[in-house]
Amino acid sequence: MLKRLFSFSLLICIVAACSKHPSVPSSFTETNMPASIFPDYVDVTVPPNIAPLNFLVDDVDDVVAEFKFQDSKVLFGGRDNKVQIDEKEWKELLSSARGKSLSVKVYTKKFGKWLAYNPFSIHVAEEEIDPYISYRVLPPTFVGYDELSIRQRNLTNFDESIIYNNRQISQGLEGQCINCHSYQNYGTDNMMFHMRMQNPGTMIVYNGELIFVNLKDESMISAAAYNSWHPFLPIIAFSTDHTMQSFHTRDISKVEVMESASDIIIYDVKQNRVQTILNDSLELELFPSWSPDGKWLYYCSAHYEYQKGYEDTTELLDQYRVLQYNLYRLSFDLETRTFGEPELVYDAVSRNRSAVQPRVSKDGRYLVFAEGPNGLFHIWHTSAEAQMLDLKTGELVDTKVMNSPLPESYPSFSSNDRWIMFESRRDDGNYTRTYFAYFDKQGKVHKAFEVPAEAPEFFRLFLRSWSRPEFMKEPVRITPRQFSEKALTEPIPVSK
Amino acid sequence: MGSSVRKVLKENEKKKPKKTDNKRWASPLVFLLLFIVFFVLLAWYFLFMRNADTMYFMQDRGWWNSTSIFWKDCTRLPGGFLAWAGAFLTQFFYYPALGTALLIVLFLLSFCLAKWSFKVPDEWSFLIFIPLTALLCSDIQLGYWVYILRDIDYVFYHPLGLFAALLLSAPFWNFLPVNEKAKSRIAWAWIPVVAALFYYPLGVYALLAAALVAVRTSWKSLLILVPTLGLVPLLETSGTTLMRPDQPWLYGFHKFILDDLRDYSLEIPFYIVLVAPLFFPFIKLIKTKKLWQSQGIMLGVAAAVLSCLLIRDFTDYNFHAELRMQRGVEECRWNDVLREAAMVKGPVTREMVMFRDIALINRGELCSKRYAYNNESIPPVTVSDSIHIRICDQAGDLIYYNYGETIFGIRRAIERCMHYGYSYYTLRVLTMCAIVNGEMDNARKYLRLLNRTVFQKKWAKEMQRFVDDETLMLTDDHFRMPLRLYNEGSELVGVDDKYVELTIMNKWMYTITNDPEAQEVALGCAMIMRNQQCFWSQVQQFYNINPGKYFPIHVQEAMLFGVYELKMEGINLSFVKFDQRVVDRYQAFFERLNQYSKQGLNEKQIGAALRPEFGDTYMWDYCTLREVQTN
Repeated sequence: MLKRLFSFSLLICIVAACSKHPSVPSSFTETNMPASIFPDYVDVTVPPNIAPLNFLVDDVDDVVAEFKFQDSKVLFGGRDNKVQIDEKEWKELLSSARGKSLSVKVYTKKFGKWLAYNPFSIHVAEEEIDPYISYRVLPPTFVGYDELSIRQRNLTNFDESIIYNNRQISQGLEGQCINCHSYQNYGTDNMMFHMRMQNPGTMIVYNGELIFVNLKDESMISAAAYNSWHPFLPIIAFSTDHTMQSFHTRDISKVEVMESASDIIIYDVKQNRVQTILNDSLELELFPSWSPDGKWLYYCSAHYEYQKGYEDTTELLDQYRVLQYNLYRLSFDLETRTFGEPELVYDAVSRNRSAVQPRVSKDGRYLVFAEGPNGLFHIWHTSAEAQMLDLKTGELVDTKVMNSPLPESYPSFSSNDRWIMFESRRDDGNYTRTYFAYFDKQGKVHKAFEVPAEAPEFFRLFLRSWSRPEFMKEPVRITPRQFSEKALTEPIPVSK
Repeated sequence: MGSSVRKVLKENEKKKPKKTDNKRWASPLVFLLLFIVFFVLLAWYFLFMRNADTMYFMQDRGWWNSTSIFWKDCTRLPGGFLAWAGAFLTQFFYYPALGTALLIVLFLLSFCLAKWSFKVPDEWSFLIFIPLTALLCSDIQLGYWVYILRDIDYVFYHPLGLFAALLLSAPFWNFLPVNEKAKSRIAWAWIPVVAALFYYPLGVYALLAAALVAVRTSWKSLLILVPTLGLVPLLETSGTTLMRPDQPWLYGFHKFILDDLRDYSLEIPFYIVLVAPLFFPFIKLIKTKKLWQSQGIMLGVAAAVLSCLLIRDFTDYNFHAELRMQRGVEECRWNDVLREAAMVKGPVTREMVMFRDIALINRGELCSKRYAYNNESIPPVTVSDSIHIRICDQAGDLIYYNYGETIFGIRRAIERCMHYGYSYYTLRVLTMCAIVNGEMDNARKYLRLLNRTVFQKKWAKEMQRFVDDETLMLTDDHFRMPLRLYNEGSELVGVDDKYVELTIMNKWMYTITNDPEAQEVALGCAMIMRNQQCFWSQVQQFYNINPGKYFPIHVQEAMLFGVYELKMEGINLSFVKFDQRVVDRYQAFFERLNQYSKQGLNEKQIGAALRPEFGDTYMWDYCTLREVQTN
């Protein structure tokens, strides 16, 4: 009997030791303070299909988090300073709390003593987020491009895979720059990205088929760059530009990126034909972006007249502060495929600001964009923020809650308009990370949260940026090997 | 009885030669032990005594940390475990003696393993040292390539690889209680298994292990080996996105490529490491008729080993001095940096000039002692003509930092990380730049990572103090001057076009500041650049902020030179208090100059003749060293 009792006790001990659920400390001191966790998930609103929000607490030996919804509760943590949540249980938790809130109480242990913090909420929205995003992964470099990849991440779990890695066909200082990935209407059957330097060209996936094009002819000032797929027609709007950059000596913005000349063109994928849309020599037009109904082409433009009457990069370097962009749009006739005249949508210059990277919500009512002091690369501007304009009222929506004192840039809407994704350097000032904010049906923006990572310290330790995030409804199916094999072929020239 | 005694004696007579046999047996072992001692001493001498600075530098430009991110980064490529473990062990060159000892132990383990595994007889065992010598050469031959190595694990990667290949090819199946036929089958089966199982952890060394198993088994095993070597890399890398299709077979084999240049001579050691072990199984087949033959060859090999090491050792004085001066600057050992600068006999590199000037700036002696040191410049002497080394690829970031140009420092550090990977050095520079910029969250990020290393924790802990309390920077040597120059420097936008020195000089000679220490830097830069307009503006500013104070000696020389030799108009020197010795030397310099000129000496000869007496003056520098060469 004693032997059996011993065996049973041993079994209990083993089960308890191996259990993924810790228990609430038997004794602790209440602090009446909120817990300071990383990433900051305190009082955020999350989609019901998001991956577990793993987090850590600094400078403690142990942490336990109690997730509570109505009468049920589940505990995670109990292994050093991290709370890593079981994916299956998390999904069940979110599923039951959809449209409601979870309460999270954090207990930490230091020097053998447990402290309990005030519970915080995680609100679970009704609306899901697009399950995939893609982004560029690279060191926060200025010129070099030896190590670049475009990756995709499943937001409902932690799976990440490579769409294309520039090391597949080139290496070292003679590497290949890859950029400006984009998708038609959040799908991946029609998508594209550019390749520069080694094996240059634009990789386009059209109806699932790969096309490698040289989007540059004599009429264009450069190869096609920033782009936007028409939501349903086989056309892509591009800006073509002369890019330059210059470095600060003291300002921690560090770098100013400028376009000394830029135009907007459209490319018909089916016809392989390019057409110039905007090429006013006094205007620097950039970042074309189609409205989801396909009837408007939004873009930004800075008015600049060179003193010498011709493009002078030295002059522009001195004038970088005055280079500010407004937001405009052109109407587009779907039948005749012709454009109307430019209309001013948002006058940022009058506010002594510069607005770039416009994106329109699916319902056509809201416009998100990045706004900074000058220029176009706001991820380097500490005062840059993601802004939103109500196109119906012409008023700015209050976005303070999703912004930070550090740079925010490149905002976009999810396919159901309920989630805003943007890039931010709020973690440390230098490494770009992806953030999401809930945008409710009443037009209110909620506190933003960082894309969840399996290891909560991942983004603190990762020495590469995640830049230019794009929402996707599905993963890219073309394999990296297919892209690289295509890239080794001669790109087809565009016809006029 | 007698006959039996005779019989015993006869038997003893027969046994006598056995004594001789013992001697013969002992003799090769003694020679082998001598060879081992010889090799160990050579390794110690070349790695530690001659190249401690290089070995320290190589670990400093390496990178290892205990995070899972780093482990995943390493292991996603073939040879990943070797990269991780190599990077881990390379850290130990933080103490060059410790690193050297570890490397020698690994060499000896490889030797023992090969000797045992391939049953190499004592008299020929010295041949095993051929690939080990090649590995030794690979560490000391690099010269300026150390700056552009992307491999954070270079020193230990290949020794570990060779050891692993020897271990995996060892005939452990001989210990199994199975018959010979079964053992033979196991050996055959092991060829594809070892390649397939260990290709990702060991890269090309897994293929070497498979080849070693094959060559020790029988020629028929080539039928398995050839398809194994062809298919395993192909199949195992079919899904990877991290390499070109032509790379899988030799992944991990070090190539010295920069842009479109490739230095094959530096790759020779690695060819030897991959090929020489394949002959190990055949060493035992060598018939030794007379012992002196193998001993003679052993002596020949010993001489060849010594010659190879002497030839491959990169001994350029400036190269080693640069490494020592860089470390001195980082550790704020200004006296050591200046001592190093004073010891150089020939022309110096511009990086050495800049390190020395940083030390002088920190001691407030830029304008009073700069010309006492040699400013005659030459470009870095590279091991071959295949690389062109520039300051921006060396320690441009550290130099920028010390001139308070933290943004350009970050720019160059990150750019170099992109090209050559992250390193402890880069993270330290980035940390200090972030602290001066006030980007404390960024500094914390780097410190967190440095805390996950073995030998950088102490530094990280020290830096944490400045993150927690910025005021400490004002009195600490690491920050005092960079912070001052950062605060006093003007805000501009521009590019450096990879010219670190010119960028710094061009900015500072135009910078007008009221801070006396920063102003002396501006004045010094104007003198270095020989820009008269900037020089006189800075002289005026010096006078404004230091009323009544003597100008530094070199400034006095430059003022006399400007007015009387360069004939600068509109300069009134009446307000300047000159040191009489400076005036006397100035006059003596030109008297002697005219005298030599009248004797018909050319410019170079005059410079040489004046150097012993006036080589420490601004005038000599200006008249003799015509151009400021920078790279």
